[in-house]
Amino acid sequence: MTPPLLSVDKLEVVYNRAITAIQGISLSVQTGQIVAILGTNGAGKSTTLRAISGFLGIDDARVTEGAVTFKGQRIENRPPNEVTRLGIVLVPEREKVFPNLTVAENLAAPFAPSMSNAERREREDLIYHFFPRLADLRTRTGGLLSGGERQMLAVASGLVCKPELLLIDELSLGLAPVVVEDLMQRLLQIRKELGITIVIVEQSAAVALEIADYGYVLENGRVVLDGDRERLTSHGDIQEFYLGQSSGDRRNYRDVKQYRRSRRWYG
Amino acid sequence: MQLFVNIIVLSSIYALIACGYVLIYRVSRVLNLAHGELMMLGSYLLLTTASSFSGHPAAAIAAAVVLSLTVGVLVYVFLMRKMTGEMALAAVLTTVALGILLRGLMVLIWSAQQQYPGQALGFSNPAIALPGGGRISTFAALLVLATALTYAALFFFLRFGRWGVRMRAAGQNPLLAAQRGINLHAVYALAWGLSTLTGSIAGMLISLDSGLTNTMVIIGLKAFPAALVGGLDSLAGALVGALIIGAAEVLSIQYIDPLLSDVVPFLILIAMLVVRPWGLFGTREELDRV
Ligand SMILES: Nc1ncnc2c1ncn2[C@@H]1O[C@H](COP(=O)(O)OP(=O)(O)O)[C@@H](O)[C@H]1O
Ligand SMILES: [Mg+2]
Repeated sequence: MTPPLLSVDKLEVVYNRAITAIQGISLSVQTGQIVAILGTNGAGKSTTLRAISGFLGIDDARVTEGAVTFKGQRIENRPPNEVTRLGIVLVPEREKVFPNLTVAENLAAPFAPSMSNAERREREDLIYHFFPRLADLRTRTGGLLSGGERQMLAVASGLVCKPELLLIDELSLGLAPVVVEDLMQRLLQIRKELGITIVIVEQSAAVALEIADYGYVLENGRVVLDGDRERLTSHGDIQEFYLGQSSGDRRNYRDVKQYRRSRRWYG
Repeated sequence: MQLFVNIIVLSSIYALIACGYVLIYRVSRVLNLAHGELMMLGSYLLLTTASSFSGHPAAAIAAAVVLSLTVGVLVYVFLMRKMTGEMALAAVLTTVALGILLRGLMVLIWSAQQQYPGQALGFSNPAIALPGGGRISTFAALLVLATALTYAALFFFLRFGRWGVRMRAAGQNPLLAAQRGINLHAVYALAWGLSTLTGSIAGMLISLDSGLTNTMVIIGLKAFPAALVGGLDSLAGALVGALIIGAAEVLSIQYIDPLLSDVVPFLILIAMLVVRPWGLFGTREELDRV
């Protein structure tokens, strides 16, 4: 088997030198895959993505144990602009666009000042090919976009950085199902046409497993389950707990194991 | 008419200095309280280059301009860079310390005497009669012109420049900017360089107009209310703030008491801090983050 594009090995991240957010997470991503990271609120999904992309600094968080290897190179605790230059770009969970810049400026900000006009135009055209709606919104200020448009812009401004690996945190958050469906199809199209590898973080397994090839389920900062799409979608615990959450009380994965497995929530 | 000219000249001085406070604050959320000293350093650098390039005033001015830009970048690289990610207060205190240090060093190197870079460069400073009866000295007129050009250039640069977009992005959300591949250190160093450059140009023109002593730092301090009244993150605000402070100062000297000149800007500053601490044009939320 070819070596993975990205491998995360027994990663541990500590916030403010005190709070251990993830403890010993390992995962690996093959070139061209779409990988889903699933889990409830606070499971450590965002922290994992941020650790991979160097997006930790501002919260005084550090990778204290383990390794992140991208194309054979160790990258943990590198500054985010270097990680971006190496080819990993994160679309963060919150504050993902510059609210006072227009759509066009949001897309232009990542361009190196030395980049030629031809190259700039080429990259912009590529964006408008995947997201034609953004072309109409060119002069709109980022802060005035609707939720779906903002997600589009966030993914698009990640794409202009020409990543090999795109990390997307909760693309579906707060959006109507049709909008989510549309965005997911765009991701499939981007993977198909550009060959970009994608890691998506979702709370909803139903949304993520629709496009993902492989998935990891996190809980309390650990991987509790992983497998390819077929395995995860047919896994009883996933169906009970992550593909539907109708019962009001919060239960955790281990509790769920004791419950009767049922298919009724899926779909 | 003369009153009007005086207001314009003083406001231009404050505006040209104030844009330096705004640039650094807007891009990196740091209040640079050493800006007055850095401005004065620009004038002393001109004094030095004037004597080492004697007979070549253009070369002396160009050298002083390049040096002051370099000083700004070096201050960032060797001092403020370490402060990135630290608390805003730590960074502000660092600039206070830098200002005190610079003030002491400048007296040591250049003495506290009144000196005239204009003489050293062989410039005279004739008054120009304006239509309407007012008079303005040559270098004061140049200062007004320099302020107008600087603001036009900064507006254009921030709006359309390739580095300008990156500076605005970094100012809004540094971590996201870094995530999009923007090198924050380069952006901050550029902001410090430009800020020190514009401040130094102000300092040089003031000292060419009226000579140079170590009390010049007060002018830099008085430009701070101008920046804050307008809103620390707004260039247009700095322009309006400078006009308000300049007009208030000139009018109170004329009609009330000349001794008020050093007091009025800070009275306005305090009034503003009580009523509307984020300034006329500033954004409220921006202030909360400090
Ligand atoms: N900035 C922060 N400071 C301190 N603790 C944090 C911070 N961000 C997240 N955490 C903690 O880390 C854990 C994982 O959070 P997160 O990665 O955001 O989870 P998820 O994205 O799966 O909802 C949580 O317990 C959370 O409280
Ligand atoms: Mg999260």
